[in-house]
Amino acid sequence: MKNAFKLLSKLIALCAGIYGLLFLVFYLDLDGKLLFRKVEPMLVKHYDKMERRDPLSMAYDVNG
Amino acid sequence: MKKIDLKKLKQLDVKKLAKDFWQGKPHGERRLGELYEDKTGLYKHREWRGVKDTFYYFNNIWLYNYIMMVGDIMKFGGPVIFAKGLWRYRWMGQTYLPVLHWFDRGLEGLRGEALRASAWHYRAMVCVTINQFMNMFKADANLHGGKHNEAWHHSIAHKETVWGGIFYPWADKFTHIPLEMIPYFVTCHVNNHTVLNYIDAVQSIGLPGDPCPMCQAEAGLFVQDDMPDYAPFVITSNEACDGSVASTAIQDWFMNIPLFAMPQPMQFDDPLVQEHCANEIKECWRFIEEQTGVPFDWEQLKKNLEKQNELQRFEWEKWDVAANTNHYPINGVAQALYRIYQSQYGEHYIWHDTDKRVRKILEKCVEQRIDTFPMTRHRMIAWSCAPLYYSHWCTWAYNCWGLNTIINMDSLMFDMEIRTDNLENTVMDMAKYHEWAPMRRMAVGGMHHIFELWENMEKFHCDMVMMYDQLQCKGMQGVVGLFEDEFRARNIHAIWMPHALPDKRTVSRAEIRRIINDYMTTVMQEEPLDPSLLDFDDSESW
Amino acid sequence: MRDLKHLIFFENLLQEANNDLVKQARQEGRYALGYTCYFMPEVLLDLPGCFSVRLRAPRCGSPEMATYYMSNRTCHYGRSLMERALEGGFNFLDAQLATETCTVTCRFQEHLKQMDVIQNPNFFCEFTDVPFKKTENSFVHYRRQLQAHVLDPLHEKFGIDTSDEALLAAIAQHNEVCRLISEIGAYRKLDNPPITGYEFHVIQLVSLTCPKDLILPYLRETAEELKTRQPELRSPFRIRVVLAGAENDDPYFTQLLESCGALVVADRYCYGSLPGREEIHVAEGQSPLDAIARHYLSTSMCPRFMPQEDMRGRKKYLADLVREYHADGLIVASNKFCEYWSYERTMDALILPRDFGIPTCSIEKEYVNSASGQLRTRFQAFIESVEIKKIQEGAKK
Repeated sequence: MKNAFKLLSKLIALCAGIYGLLFLVFYLDLDGKLLFRKVEPMLVKHYDKMERRDPLSMAYDVNG
Repeated sequence: MKKIDLKKLKQLDVKKLAKDFWQGKPHGERRLGELYEDKTGLYKHREWRGVKDTFYYFNNIWLYNYIMMVGDIMKFGGPVIFAKGLWRYRWMGQTYLPVLHWFDRGLEGLRGEALRASAWHYRAMVCVTINQFMNMFKADANLHGGKHNEAWHHSIAHKETVWGGIFYPWADKFTHIPLEMIPYFVTCHVNNHTVLNYIDAVQSIGLPGDPCPMCQAEAGLFVQDDMPDYAPFVITSNEACDGSVASTAIQDWFMNIPLFAMPQPMQFDDPLVQEHCANEIKECWRFIEEQTGVPFDWEQLKKNLEKQNELQRFEWEKWDVAANTNHYPINGVAQALYRIYQSQYGEHYIWHDTDKRVRKILEKCVEQRIDTFPMTRHRMIAWSCAPLYYSHWCTWAYNCWGLNTIINMDSLMFDMEIRTDNLENTVMDMAKYHEWAPMRRMAVGGMHHIFELWENMEKFHCDMVMMYDQLQCKGMQGVVGLFEDEFRARNIHAIWMPHALPDKRTVSRAEIRRIINDYMTTVMQEEPLDPSLLDFDDSESW
Repeated sequence: MRDLKHLIFFENLLQEANNDLVKQARQEGRYALGYTCYFMPEVLLDLPGCFSVRLRAPRCGSPEMATYYMSNRTCHYGRSLMERALEGGFNFLDAQLATETCTVTCRFQEHLKQMDVIQNPNFFCEFTDVPFKKTENSFVHYRRQLQAHVLDPLHEKFGIDTSDEALLAAIAQHNEVCRLISEIGAYRKLDNPPITGYEFHVIQLVSLTCPKDLILPYLRETAEELKTRQPELRSPFRIRVVLAGAENDDPYFTQLLESCGALVVADRYCYGSLPGREEIHVAEGQSPLDAIARHYLSTSMCPRFMPQEDMRGRKKYLADLVREYHADGLIVASNKFCEYWSYERTMDALILPRDFGIPTCSIEKEYVNSASGQLRTRFQAFIESVEIKKIQEGAKK
């Protein structure tokens, strides 16, 4: 019983901690800052470097 | 260590502090502009809206939507195909990850029921967006080693200006996915940088810079090889304009799949055109039957049209509240985007879920006579096509100047129910419905349509006009003088907002704000509600 | 070459929309019917009792008043027409038979309808809806539209005879104009034609802007004259080009191009003859109106047509013209702010060189271009590049 109570308390504390952390992320706009400063530039670099097909070389059948 | 100024501490109004903490600062004291980081539009910290609304925002908007987005991805295809699509397509990775910031921008300053109702509209749009791109990815040959899988064979591609209802007869067997709605249209609102790549791409192959940038971007997606190969055939339309017709030629080249053109007549008031338009729809259906081998299903069509009619009826109820009371709980941007998305895309379960939730809020506001936008100084009607890269200008305008955008022109299209008593009536109504599409309902078929502004101003009890001035829209540029004449003759306060639809480089957000600020100070001679919002640099923001 | 007998007369006619022949026809009690687009069948406006005038705004300077109404971000052609209307230059019109075929000309015509611009108490402006395809559904629709919005108003308001007999008479007259223009135009296929592109442009334009019966005698004489006209011993031109594109009612544009050394051998633009001067055939048992509707939709090469085969077929049509007229290259020109042709010429400039080996120059122009140094430079560069290509190909052979 005591152990269950201890476990429950730990779980609640953990959830509260996660919740608090998430609130911090939310309130300080850390998700936006991460995406803007790190994720988007990384992805844009990737897209800029990507090898792409040249659509201008695609055939154009004018005979229908 | 900083010295604590005891004098200042003693002067603190603790009661006020506590009140501001609990309830959130009153409108005039919020200083929302000071929350922005310079240039980026990121927040030093998100708004404190009082305990109740801040935790509502945190739990029911921010956390809820992040969780639901993960849930939607799991539901609509799973993380693997999502990751593949994100890695392959710029419009996916660059745009849709910061989607919660899109919420933030549109919902700035909102409290209470307005916050709740508006946010549900955003949630719905996110759900349908995820559904669409996941459907694209599941069918995309580019993500499946060039192979055409079952999903590919059961997808229907169409121009985003083809109304989704055309495909209702196959709703249970085929997935219709607009070509450009997700890769282009929605991206402009969420992250206005992405689209610039596509505009530049199409200009790099020789297209001049002056055609409508929407059509430029739509073509540019193909030039940049950034369009999924997700369907065996495509349906096109002549909506909204010449540019849409013209850009299809480039798209056709790069898609190189069977194409059916389903144009709508321009002179749509003419009763003589309706049969022609109805026949075009029937021919489109015949084409789909030929391509898929699956016959037209009247019951599916009827069922989905009746569901759509429900959505339209609720829209009219909302308009009624918006027009005649100050209890309407949906802000200008949520109203505008939801309406155009829902009506153009067509039937989806999320619209009904959303409307159920919003109905509850709406009824509460009406019953309890809640003034949802209490700082309204002017009721505004927005006319012509809006700047996609600054669709949330109306949120800023309300916070800064008390300008409450009650309704906008493109919300007023598709304004009818469709009969389902027999096929002939249904098709005739569908023909008319499609003629009443965004930008078409007002901008073509005679100038009397575009001048329906006056009757709508009256209907919605608006005292000011935000006249969108899309610089590259030939149709609207062609009537500027007559509007000027009418504004003068009718003594209407109208602010012209120049913009280039998705392209922020032509007229920046800051420039738009400056124009509105100038009008409000010099002509209206008013003071801003929140001076911190007058001038700030968001040049790099999403 | 010896000057064409009526060239100066034709050039003078083109200086005003309300030219001497238009005035003469009006004095005779005939109704002047304005239009801007090939989709408004000129043959219907040339029924007995009325005559068609395809609108131009010659010598138009800066369209300031029109720019107030239509901003400076719309096609210069549409604004120039609006300016001319505001100046009173179209007050001779009794009606404008309008089409909503391209946005800017549509707006111009809507202004005519909305505002009291044309100082003629009987003036009316009537719109016809034009389909975007060449299917049976479209033919039927177009025919109904022409009946309801062209023939019926002409009959009701002006008492014009719109019977089948009257239509057949108009078709006969129209076909004679087409035969003569086509006959004159066919000379351009020769290695050393007895007619320049500029001269042909002038002749084609007078056939569009003057009452048919009054211009016909001059066209007949010109056709006769050309049978014996001797070209220069040696062609003064360096290359031969097909000129394609959007609205082009400025013969000085053709003159500018030819002064740089490129002979315009075919005119595939709005106001041009290819298409535009094909005879209308009425089959046995077919109503003349049905024949007219099918003819104008079938022959048109407007970029407005949306079906896949039509979009792609336009490229083939251009390539065929280049071959048929023995051209060395293609110039595609459109006005700034023309949505349709911005895309069309972008594709022409990519597809035609790549798939047909046709050197192609894509040009943006204004409504009036005679003094354009920029255009001259572009043309000269293109002509040189084509010449070099010809020399290199000659050397390879």
